[in-house]
Order: sequence, then structure tokens, then C-alpha cells
Amino acid sequence: MTTTVLTWREVARVCLLLSAALLLISLIALTLGGAAIPARSVFAAFWEGLTQSPSSLSVEHRLILFDVRLPRLFLAMIVGAALSLAGAGYQALLRNPLADPYVLGVSSGAALGTILALALAARLTLAMPLAAFVGASLTTAAVYFLGQRGGQLAPYTLLLAGVITASFLSAIIAFLLNFLSASDLRGATFWLMGDLSGTAPFSLAWLALPALMSFGVMYYYAGDLNLLLAGETEAESLGVDVGRTKLAIYLAASLATGLAVSVSGAIGYIGLLVPHLVRLLFGSDYRLLLPASALGGAVVLVTADAVARSVAAPTEVPVGAVTAVVGAPVFIYLLRFRLNDRSSASATGENS
Amino acid sequence: MFATLMTTESAIRRLAASGTLGICLAASLPLTATAAGNQSRTVVDETGRTVHLPARIERIVSLAPNLTEILYALGLEERLVGVTNQCDYPPAARQKPIVGDVVNPNLEEIIELKPDLVLGTTAGNRRETADALERLGIPVYGIDPHSIEDVLTSIRNVADLLGVAERGAELDARLRARLSSLHQRLNAVPRPRVLFAIWLDPLITVGGDTFLNDLLRQAGARSVTGELRLDWPRLSLEVALELDPDYLVLPRTHSLRSRLTDLSGRRPWQSLRAVERGQVIWLDDAVLRPGPRVVEVVEALARELHPEAFPATEAARQ
Repeated sequence: MTTTVLTWREVARVCLLLSAALLLISLIALTLGGAAIPARSVFAAFWEGLTQSPSSLSVEHRLILFDVRLPRLFLAMIVGAALSLAGAGYQALLRNPLADPYVLGVSSGAALGTILALALAARLTLAMPLAAFVGASLTTAAVYFLGQRGGQLAPYTLLLAGVITASFLSAIIAFLLNFLSASDLRGATFWLMGDLSGTAPFSLAWLALPALMSFGVMYYYAGDLNLLLAGETEAESLGVDVGRTKLAIYLAASLATGLAVSVSGAIGYIGLLVPHLVRLLFGSDYRLLLPASALGGAVVLVTADAVARSVAAPTEVPVGAVTAVVGAPVFIYLLRFRLNDRSSASATGENS
Repeated sequence: MFATLMTTESAIRRLAASGTLGICLAASLPLTATAAGNQSRTVVDETGRTVHLPARIERIVSLAPNLTEILYALGLEERLVGVTNQCDYPPAARQKPIVGDVVNPNLEEIIELKPDLVLGTTAGNRRETADALERLGIPVYGIDPHSIEDVLTSIRNVADLLGVAERGAELDARLRARLSSLHQRLNAVPRPRVLFAIWLDPLITVGGDTFLNDLLRQAGARSVTGELRLDWPRLSLEVALELDPDYLVLPRTHSLRSRLTDLSGRRPWQSLRAVERGQVIWLDDAVLRPGPRVVEVVEALARELHPEAFPATEAARQ
């Protein structure tokens, strides 16, 4: 292992740095949008809100700022953090840098759940997100068992099982889309591309809670994940309950994925990209990697959404398209030029 | 960092007085307070949503071209404050502020226009858009026409909603008179079998429960895909060849026209008998808009299909 001793000071330093980046990008994002609200008025409105002084903004601009932009900003943060955490979790679990909610088919399961809810109970507000979560969980379980070999979770078998499950579920979705009425279809295909434009049907606290739970569980096992980097036998000999650690990480990652997909559809590349970038920049100690990935995911998705909202105003580009357009080339770059050295060794646990 | 954001959020919550961010904040703002003020009405729209309407509706945003056309036909253009980028008829509609496209209009632009009411249609808009606007305290009335009769009903509903019931009834009567005179002309004509193609590559047609199916029927034709239950079914070419329609009918949309001016030179299509005989009819793209101009389109199609039923006009043309 090349990892040096990680101090709390260092974790705090990196988190503070990323938090500052998040704050900065959030402030910029809040000034962008279809309505032209001057940046100064935006900041003034927040100051007035904090000090409870009368607002200088018009009713409409206040509604736009506090009920459209701010919830969307928080939504992007939560979804970005959740997707990024899920990616980091799956990568640790599989010791495979290609692991990602999308590759594993979990997001396809969530998508299938949503489409089913659309077809069967479209009028119920909670039907779609609930069904997405159920779909994600069931797929997680299915892939988890399909990916086992001789009672053991085999990384490559699991990855293949995920890929095949994703393609199978996508085929089912294609079938189902044929039976949806035209107006539902528009909603479904739009959502499938990844979309943050709708205001969430329930309080953002209900979204933040499972995301924090997922983070908490993963962080609890961060030390064990570090030991797992050296290999399962080594970790076991050092007292790590490997089976339990893996199960916990898998469930936590699936919870995060189900949550993200249920509210925003298929936004790709965050889970793949952010943990890799964090590893490149700050190393692969999970005690740092997990909080840094969560914050980094929030930064990346808030940025991508700001681009999606402003690049073709007054119309909007699906945020999934933005993350894919930027994410795919960066990922290929990482794959070709970086994965041979340090990061692949640390991500897959192969010691040089 | 997260703590900072939490403080911001709690400050906003204080601002909102109580409850969850999305729902209650909107409800506590004055925008809704005026809407919920004296004499507000509650109606159920054509999609089954309950809509709370303010007493006076002075500012309207239209989320689809057919709704824009309905408002102009009712002489309500003064109250129309926002349209989509596809609202190009009448030409004056292009001068109105644009709130984005039909599928994903920009919420911020809509709010900024301070609408008393937003009009939507199942033929283009998404339910999610209506839900989001509703949560922001902006009433949305949706229309859901599945036949020409439904289009007329929608026109009357919109007119009633906006306090111009007489104008709605008048327009309805005028359009209805034209349809019934057409109906009489076409009483005894044989009904040719037509294939209506919304898109050719892949071939997308119209199912039975659509206003387009009804439009073809009213024009004295029979849709060969009228038995299909899906609204916009994708048809395989072999089935199209097997159905062997007498006419191929197409909307004159930009994307279709530019690609398919030489339909006869295209391999699978030239073997379709309707194409071989040159029995291809291009219709004004108003055909895709369940609005007041559909009657014109029905008449135009009827003339093309049944010139013998319009002797006077034909003579006048020559």
C-alpha cells in the first residue's frame, strides 16, 4: 500500500476546499436561469431572508428564486452526491473501476419501476418514486445473487450480471413504452434522459435523509474498505467481516441509486467519474474518498445543471445529455492515460 | 458547508412561515393569495385535474400551438401573455414572449409573466409540467381532445373559462355548420381507404382514438389504421404494403417535406400503389393541431378526395 497515514486535518482541508467550490458554483447557478434576475438582487434576497428584513424582490422573482431555483439546486446537490456515493460504493465493493449504478443495471431497474407506475397508477404522486425505489432494490438483489459464484460475490460475474440485467430491463422498458399513451410517453422518455426540471413532489428533506443514511453506512465501513483494497484474504486476516461489509455497501449504494433515479431519471457518468477524479486528486483512502466524492458529485451535477439550463435558454437541455457529453470523453481519457498507473492500482487493489 | 446550506434553507422556511419547501412556500406567497381571494372558482379540467381559478383571468400563458390558435380565434389575444416557440399561427403570435418549447417549457419564464392561468394540452405537454406549475401556485387547465367534436368542446370550455361563453358558442356554431354542410356533401360518396403517416422513417401512423382518425372520417375517408388502439402506432412497411391504402396522406411539416419531395423514387414507398398512382395528399400542418383550423383541413382533404362532391367550386376554379 502506498497510502500514507491520513489525518483528520487533511480530510477537513479537502472537504472545506470542495465545500467552498460547491458554495461558489451554487451562487453562480442561482443567478442563472430563464428569468433575468440580476446577481446582486439574488444575493440581496438571501441576505434579506436571513435577516428577516422585507424583500426587495418582486413576488414573481421571489417565487422563481426560492421555489424554482433553490429547490432545484438542492435537488442537484442531493442527486449528484447520491450518484457519486453509489459509484464509489460499487467500485469499492467490486474492486473494479468500471462499476457504476448504470453498469450494474440498478438504474434500469429503477427506470422500469417508474414506467410501470406510469402505466398502472399514473395519478398517484408517490407511485413513481416509490416504484423506482422498489425497482432499484429488486434489481440490486437480483444482480447480487446472479453475481455470486460458489456462495461468493465474484466481481466480474457480478459486473457481467449487471450488464446483462441492464440490457434485459431496457428491452422490457422498450416493450412497455409501446403501450403507454402519447402524453405519458413524453414524460417517460424525457425522464429517461435525466431531468431535474420538475420541482420534487415532496420535501427535499425526504430526499436528503436516505442520502445521508447511505453516506453514514458507507462511512462506518470506510476503514474496512481501506483494508479491502489489499485483497479479501488480507482484509479477513486483519479482522474485517468481509461478507457483512460488502452487503452493507451494496445496500447503501443501491439506496442512493434508487433515490437519485427516482427523482431525476438516468443521469449518467457522475457515479463513474467523480470518484475517479477524487482518487486522482486526493488519493484513495475511503475516509477521504467518500465525503470528497459526495461533495464532488454535488459540485459536478450543480455545474452540469447550470449548463443545461442556460446553454439553450429559454429551452432546456436534459442534464443527462450534459453529463454524458462532458463525462464520456473525460472517462475515455482516464481509461487510456490514467488507469495504467496509480489509480488503477488503488481502485482495484492490485499492488505493484 | 452542508450546515451553511441548512441555515439558508431554514431561513427560507421561516420566510415561508411553515411546512415543506416546495408545497407550502408557494401557498404562503401573495401570488396565490390573490388567486385564492374573493370569488375564486374551482373547476375540473378535461384531464380530470381540479383547477382553482381566480375570479378574473387577465393573463394567460399557452403551452401549445393549438391553444394559442383557440385563444386568437376567440379574440382573446390581448390576454395572451406567453406562448411556446412552436406557436407560429396566426403570425402575430410570434410576437408574444416565448416560454420555451411544448415538452419542457421554462418554469421561470412562465412565473415571470405572472399568469392567472396556464393552458395545456395532452397533445404535446407533459403532466409533470402541470404538476410543477400547480405546486408553484399557478392554475393549469388542460384540454384532451380525441375527436373533432372534442376539439369543439375544448373551444367552448376555454371560452366558458375565460368568460366569453357567447364567443365560444358562436365559433362552435360556425365550425359546426361548416362540418354539417360538408357532411351532407359527402353523404353518398364512397369512402377511400387512406394511410395517414405522421412520420415516414420509421412509419408512424394514427390510431383509432385520436382526433386525426376522426378528422379522416369527417373528410369522407377511412383510416386503414383505425382499428389500432395505440394513439401513435409504429407500423411496419410490410403491413403498410399489405393494407394497400388508396391514398397516402401526410402533414406538410418542414422535416417531412424537405426529405420526401421525391417519394416515388424511394424504394419501399414506390411500390405502394397509392404512391405509384400519385395519390399522395399533403395537408397543411394545422392537421396536427387540434384547434379551430382543423375544420379547414377537413374541408381541404375532402376536396382532394372527393372533387366530384364539390362541382361548383371545381367549375369556379377552372
